[in-house]
Amino acid sequence: MTARPDERLLDGPPMSPVRCRACGAAVRARKASWQQTSIQWSAEAVETCLERRASVPGDGPNGDLFPACEALRESIVRAALDGELPVPDDAGDG
Amino acid sequence: MTAAETERDGVRTIEAGAVPARFARGWHCLGLSERFKDGRPHTVDAFGAKLVVFRSGDGRLNVLDAYCRHMGGDLSRGTVKGDEIACPFHDWRWGGDGRCKKIPYARRVPLRARTSAWTTMDQDGMLFVWNDPEGNPPPPGVTIPRIEGATRDDWTDWVWHETLVAANCREVMDNVVDMAHFFYVHYSFPTYFKNVFEGHVATQIMKGLSRPDARPPAKEGRPGMLGNTSVAAYHGPSFMIDDLTYHYEGMDIDCVLINCHYPVDADSFVLQSGIIVQRNERLGSAGADEMAVRLGAFILKGFEQDVEIWKNKARVDNPLLCEEDGPVYQLRRWYEQFYVDAADVAPEMVERFEFELDTTRPVGAWKKEVEENLARRAAAGGGTA
Repeated sequence: MTARPDERLLDGPPMSPVRCRACGAAVRARKASWQQTSIQWSAEAVETCLERRASVPGDGPNGDLFPACEALRESIVRAALDGELPVPDDAGDG
Repeated sequence: MTAAETERDGVRTIEAGAVPARFARGWHCLGLSERFKDGRPHTVDAFGAKLVVFRSGDGRLNVLDAYCRHMGGDLSRGTVKGDEIACPFHDWRWGGDGRCKKIPYARRVPLRARTSAWTTMDQDGMLFVWNDPEGNPPPPGVTIPRIEGATRDDWTDWVWHETLVAANCREVMDNVVDMAHFFYVHYSFPTYFKNVFEGHVATQIMKGLSRPDARPPAKEGRPGMLGNTSVAAYHGPSFMIDDLTYHYEGMDIDCVLINCHYPVDADSFVLQSGIIVQRNERLGSAGADEMAVRLGAFILKGFEQDVEIWKNKARVDNPLLCEEDGPVYQLRRWYEQFYVDAADVAPEMVERFEFELDTTRPVGAWKKEVEENLARRAAAGGGTA
């Protein structure tokens, strides 16, 4: 039972390198549309992330969850707007 | 099978290898611990074996393989004697550590008189066992988080249900990433959906609206349900804690929902749900208890909806996905870590992965469908629209 590849990465845009503009953490990201985002972190990127390091556990049994890095989110949006991260043309809201 | 073969004639083939021959490494909940504390041995079919669960005289909950290593008697039909479980066949006495402590008719216990014992944990009203095919103890940091409400007076007691499902337990795991089935199978209406996998934890963050076409309108004087916010995380391969808030007109109801299972064998598992509800002024003390029972029944209905799908569906190793589906392959890559030796856990199985779904198209389609359902109901004179 080995994990198989996600065919969407072959048929649509692949995971592409993106660097966080705040801390330089290097991740791979993908946008299937302007609203969809996939982010593959490495252990090193997690260590580098400033927001991650500054985060404190929240309340509740799932309080340890780090939901997202805002700086990275903005960096990915910028990369998409600048054309560094491809977003499919037909991925409008229509 | 090669990709070329798969795509012969353009027909997509469903591929499914054998189900895993081993059972996941991790903590598994066997149910509310109270029911095992009556001084009697209990039979639990799990991990391809028959287990005996018993509370010894020292108050500890113990889990052993039920078959006595002497002549194969069923310890779960035996008797608790002091700190040991006594076999009904020849009265051999087994301790919670898996060692035979005494044979009343023998001068001494033979060498090798040791059976399989599972590490147990009694926490927040639930009994957990650590399963590891390699026989190692739980590593530090691989824990089940505490659930504060479970021991507090301003929360209800657990309302617990369990049901035997004739399918491999991967089916229930896939729900972590399956946004669309919540609309079609469970009649809920997700509007936001995100997954985060990291280490041994897989999280689903979901916000949703209530479905006016799927439930009768709120009774006079009762607040209508608007929607819900849910942060649900699997802590290991089988135990999900859902921090769940139902939003009603004028109030929120906070719940903790447990969705957990243990494998019986490769082709079946026991699916369990537990819920506690926080008491508040609007709800009142009795209202919270009533709400917990109602929600418990509601969750059970949700399980039945899943089971109906699972018992008729095919196992699929190569699901065909659209971009509005969640990260099924990445979830299974995460899940794989529990089925390989600890030394073989690859970085990509545990490295952080985030997937935020674009709900624009699903929400648009579902709004339309709800409106059509309501119009149809009104036209049929259902009187509820």
